[in-house]
Amino acid sequence: MSIADIVREATELPVSRSADECLKCNVCNTVCPVLRVTDKFPGPKYSGPQGQRFRLAHLQPIGGPGSANPPSPDASVDYCSGCGWCTTACPAGVKIAEMNNQARARLREGTRPKLRDWGLGQTDLTGTLGVAFSPIANVAMRNRPLRRAMELAIGVHHKAPVPPFAKRTFHATWKRRQAKAGTGSGKAQPGPDKAIVYFHGCSANYYEPHVAEAAVWVLRRNGFETIVPDQVCCGLPLISNGLYEDARAHACKNAKSLARYAKAGYRIIGTSTSCTHTIKAEYEEMLDMRDEDTRAISAATWDIMEFLLDLHEQGRLDTGFGRLDEDLPYHAPCQLRSHGIGLPALDLFALIPGLRARDMDHDCCGIAGTYGLKREKYDIAMAVGRPLFDKITASGATVAACDSETCRWQIEAATGVRTRHPIEILAESYRAMDRARGTAEPPGA
Amino acid sequence: MPHADVVVIGAGLSGLTAATRLAEAGAVVTLVAKGHARTHWGSGGLDIAAPHAARTPADGVARLAALDHPYSYLAPCVAPSVAWMMERLAAAGLPYAGTLDTPIRRVPTAIGGTRRVAIVPQAQSAALRPWGRDEVLVVAGIAGYKDFWPLAIADSLAREAVWHGADRPAAVVGVSVELRGLGDRHNLNAMHLARRFDEGALRADDIAAIARAVERAAEGRPGRVALPAVFGLAAHAETWAALRAQLPLEPFEVPLVPPSVPGIRLWRVLRDRIRAAGGRVQLGEFVHAVRVEDGRVTAVEMEAATRTHAIRTEALVLATGGLSGGGLRATDDGRIVEPVLGLHVEAVEQDAWLVRDGLDPAGHPVEAAGVRADPDLRPLGADHRVSHANVHVVGGLLADQRSIRERCGDGVAIASGWRAARGLASDATRSPIDCEMADSARTEL
Repeated sequence: MSIADIVREATELPVSRSADECLKCNVCNTVCPVLRVTDKFPGPKYSGPQGQRFRLAHLQPIGGPGSANPPSPDASVDYCSGCGWCTTACPAGVKIAEMNNQARARLREGTRPKLRDWGLGQTDLTGTLGVAFSPIANVAMRNRPLRRAMELAIGVHHKAPVPPFAKRTFHATWKRRQAKAGTGSGKAQPGPDKAIVYFHGCSANYYEPHVAEAAVWVLRRNGFETIVPDQVCCGLPLISNGLYEDARAHACKNAKSLARYAKAGYRIIGTSTSCTHTIKAEYEEMLDMRDEDTRAISAATWDIMEFLLDLHEQGRLDTGFGRLDEDLPYHAPCQLRSHGIGLPALDLFALIPGLRARDMDHDCCGIAGTYGLKREKYDIAMAVGRPLFDKITASGATVAACDSETCRWQIEAATGVRTRHPIEILAESYRAMDRARGTAEPPGA
Repeated sequence: MPHADVVVIGAGLSGLTAATRLAEAGAVVTLVAKGHARTHWGSGGLDIAAPHAARTPADGVARLAALDHPYSYLAPCVAPSVAWMMERLAAAGLPYAGTLDTPIRRVPTAIGGTRRVAIVPQAQSAALRPWGRDEVLVVAGIAGYKDFWPLAIADSLAREAVWHGADRPAAVVGVSVELRGLGDRHNLNAMHLARRFDEGALRADDIAAIARAVERAAEGRPGRVALPAVFGLAAHAETWAALRAQLPLEPFEVPLVPPSVPGIRLWRVLRDRIRAAGGRVQLGEFVHAVRVEDGRVTAVEMEAATRTHAIRTEALVLATGGLSGGGLRATDDGRIVEPVLGLHVEAVEQDAWLVRDGLDPAGHPVEAAGVRADPDLRPLGADHRVSHANVHVVGGLLADQRSIRERCGDGVAIASGWRAARGLASDATRSPIDCEMADSARTEL
């Protein structure tokens, strides 16, 4: 047995068993943003490794035979937002946030999910309906009395940040454009060194098609055409709400559609840092999916900033960035940290002349996907993000940047400061260069 | 692949020291760590050397330097490195008291015992002064905070035995102080209290409440007040100044069970310093493999979601700690291994792991396990020759220290981190940053 084997055996524990490594040192409790602001959550140490001692006695695979409702010490684990700071800070390698997520799923097992939790997981359904009826839906979502009624009926807080639906989905726009140009059918597809597969996820598809357009534009400028295969929600909102079975169905659909590209050597690029993390890590770690197709798409997936920084390190990035003379507060979302890739957006911002991007160095904006939308958690989420909001407001900046959509919506709602995806900032900088050179072209052309 | 002049693995005092000095010297430094380290559970004081019978830290260093001990080659670095560290802490508003010639004295602990110290944060320093015959010690806790139990501590400190023959207060009284709004909280940890003082809104009221309780308990006698170490993180300096100004007796902080607020203050100062000098500090990074070519480390690979992420480097500082820090691992078949590079480990045979008296003043034989190094801190193989030319081993991973008994952990960490950085910084920046050590420092000890 080599030393590498010994270490692997000792450290690559499944989530549930990693509780054995806990030293009870309390480091996780020092970094937990939720424990910082509320008593409703007893902290990662208690809900995670300590609670796990009780759960281990009944340990069976989720969804397996006879696993209906094994006991968990109490239901407070539901107040974990899943931000993952505990896992990052743990000196012993305990996968605390992941353990909490599994405990929540087990807690929910065998009971019918709340309509709200089920609904928050159905991002494709909400998005499709919302876009179809966007003129009505957007007015309705801004209507106070209606939002209050919605809070009473399904428990989504009336002030929770919900962005307006797009007029048309990115996917539909893309298909139409491809049909018009006559591409996609007859013409030979460029190879994996000339094209990437884009995973737009729900946010860029239903709410922020401009993010998708910016990504396509920046990628083309760097020599990559974009392929947009059929896809569904990555499944993260379902995982966060404890609906693992439904999430697996989503993962399977995506694997089926995307695996042939992954196996042919195409990289799958996403603009939603939480979707890309889900495909990279959670399909296997949380959903226990280890089939060939799922593994292939996991291994091929990149966050767009990670991909562009990699291009830069290979000397292949177009570094002709135009001047952007502005302050740019930047918030690194929790999901980005779970990628373990550093803060690539900040490295790329550093290439833009004049741009004064500054890491706000705050743990969590509070929203944690769908956590802060919920009636009973909205105040907690706002309290968690408060120091970040204050810093951004105090900076006096008119634009902020963040890689994750729900964080952007939360920051924008709380501060009134327009919050953009880093790819939009890069696109703006390239356009500034084009203007300076007199070669500007309309976006999306 | 990103590139660094030096990668430091480990976020404890030795890794932080090395990274700070390197970054200040202009080297491109990345510090990676699995999670937080001993800063988060240590006392925040600097244990330089307090073996049995040592009168001062300098005396302790001299005694240990005469043995097979890292101090046998690091002794000349202790004075300049500790001075260097204390200067930086003071500059950041975290002054320390004591020198290498300060007598080692017994100070109260949070369970009502005593421990031997000489160099401590200013806020702990009032405990170091000899006790006058008429002095009362008031132990003041915060009602609802369970990690500092004033009545039990006072009961214990009133016993002569816990002072081991040292001078002691004439009387000890415990008092529990009610602070506004804490009555409803059932999860109160040191961080909650520290942040409450940071926020400042209730600071004046809280301090007034403590002052009144101390006044009543002291009954007009002279003396000092022991308080839990929770008085602010970012706003520690002003909180402590206000407290000192308003209490009728001189206060001192007593370090607590983890999480350690004084240690977290120390961590934040060094982390901020590294960042301000352009270095990077990345937690949640599990080093998966190290690439070695011709006995030189060329890159460090870390686990990331779905793929490893690597940093190319010219040199490596291994600050991963000893057995308790995870820098060494014991295997079921009785070996102690160094998991990152598989360095040669000096350790007693497994039979000797079991001893009759685990608390023997001479220390436990397994404590001395570790990696032996040359005076430049490069690791030695079984053949006593340097096994990796550009690797430097610092802190708890160094063999032949029994840090629990010898209380030398912080001194070895600071001296070795400082020494390793000195050699590396000269390589990285091609201009020696200082040469004061060899000449001036040797005369100081």
